[in-house]
Amino acid sequence: MSTRSWRDRDIYLALAGLVIAVLVQATLLTRIRFFGAQPDLLLVLVVCWSLLHGAGEGLLWAFAGGLVFDAVAGLPLGTSPLALMPLCFLASIGQTSVYANNIWLPVFFVAMATPIHGWIILFIRQVQGVPINWLDANLKVILPALVLNILLTVVVAHVLRRATGSTQLAPMG
Amino acid sequence: MAPVEGAMSTASRPLLSVFNNIGRQVDNVITTARDLSSLRSENRRLQAIVDTLTIDNARLTELQTENQQLRELNRFRQLNPFYDFRGGQLIARVISRGPTNYLSAITIDLGTDQGIAAGMPVVTERGLVGRIQKVGPTTSTVLLITDPSSGVQAMIKRENSRAVGIVTGQAGASPVMEYIAQEADVTPGDEVITSGLGGNFPKNLIIGQVTEVIKQDFDMYQRAVVRPTVDFNRLEFVLVITNFEPLPGQPAELESVG
Repeated sequence: MSTRSWRDRDIYLALAGLVIAVLVQATLLTRIRFFGAQPDLLLVLVVCWSLLHGAGEGLLWAFAGGLVFDAVAGLPLGTSPLALMPLCFLASIGQTSVYANNIWLPVFFVAMATPIHGWIILFIRQVQGVPINWLDANLKVILPALVLNILLTVVVAHVLRRATGSTQLAPMG
Repeated sequence: MAPVEGAMSTASRPLLSVFNNIGRQVDNVITTARDLSSLRSENRRLQAIVDTLTIDNARLTELQTENQQLRELNRFRQLNPFYDFRGGQLIARVISRGPTNYLSAITIDLGTDQGIAAGMPVVTERGLVGRIQKVGPTTSTVLLITDPSSGVQAMIKRENSRAVGIVTGQAGASPVMEYIAQEADVTPGDEVITSGLGGNFPKNLIIGQVTEVIKQDFDMYQRAVVRPTVDFNRLEFVLVITNFEPLPGQPAELESVG
C-alpha cells in the first residue's frame, strides 16, 4: 500500500474523528459543568494534534473542525477557526521539544491555549457589538474552562498518541 | 415378645431419628444437585425478567417525568394570561445545550419545516427562555436571555413601581437589568417581566426576580441583578410562540443591546 493511500486514510479518519468530537462536545460534554463552564474538546484535540503532527495538519483540523463547530454551536461562521488556528502555531513549538513525549507538555500548551482561544472569541464578539465584561468572562468562564480542559487533555493526549501511533505507518508531512 | 419388641423399639428410636435425618439431608443434597441445572436456567430466566422490568420501570419513570413536563407546558399554554398567543405555541424538545462557553444558546428539534422563524420568542411554564436566533429545516438555535448579546426590554411587575430597563446576559453571571432610572423604586424580590417595548417580545412574560440593586449617586442609571425563573441547565422542553411577530425593523439576530 502506498504512502499516499495511508495518508488519505489518516485524513479521512481524522475528519470523521473531528465530526464525532464536535457531536460529543455538543451533546455529552455539555452535561459536565464546573462553575458553569464546560470542557472544550475541539480545542484540546487541535492543540494535541498540532503537538503530535505539526502546525500544518493542526491548521487543517482547526479550520474544518471550527467550521463544523460554529454550524452546530450557533456562533458566527468563522469565529472558531479564527480562534483555533493561532493555537496550532503555538502548540507546534512543542513538537520539537525534548519533552515531546511528556504528558505535561500538552497540558502546558492547553493551559496556554485556553485563555488565548477565549480572548479571541470574546474580542470577535465585542467587535460585533456584544458588550463583554472581561473580568467576569476571565474569572467565571475562562478559568473554570481551563481546569476542565487540563483534565480532558490528560485523557485526549493519551488516546491520540496511542491512536496515531497505531495508524501512522508513514511519515506525516 | 411384646415387651422385647417395645424395648427394642424404644432403644432404636433415637438411632432411627438420626439416620432418618441423615437420609433426609442426603436426599436434599441429591435433589438439589439434580435441580441445580434447572435452577440455573430458572435463575437466568428470572434475571432476564428482572432486567426487563428494571428497564421498563426506568422507561416508565422517564415517561412519567416527560409527561409531567408536557402537562405543565400544556397547562401553561391553556391557562396563561397571554390570550393573544393561545394556540400559536409549539412544544419543542431541547436536543443540545450550548456546546461553547462563549455563547449561551440551546438547540431545539423544530425548524422551518414546522413553521419556526428567526426572532420567535421561546418560553417555558416558568418564564422567558430566549428567542430563535438561527433556523434550519429541522432544528433551530435559541439565544438564551443569559447571553451577553441578548437584550430584553423589561419592567418591574410591582404596581407602584413599573420601572423599565433592559435585561442583558452576563458572562458566567446572572443577567442584569440595566438603564433603570435613578429615581425608580426597585427592591430585591421584585418580579421582572417583559415590557413589550421595542416589539421584540410579547408583554408580561416572566423573566426573573431582582436579587440585588446596584445604585450609585454618580451614575445616570441604577442596575438590578436578576435571577431568572427558568433553570437553563435543566431545560428539556420549551414552547415556541409562533404567532408573535416582532415589529418591522427588529434585527433577526440580536447583536447589541443598544
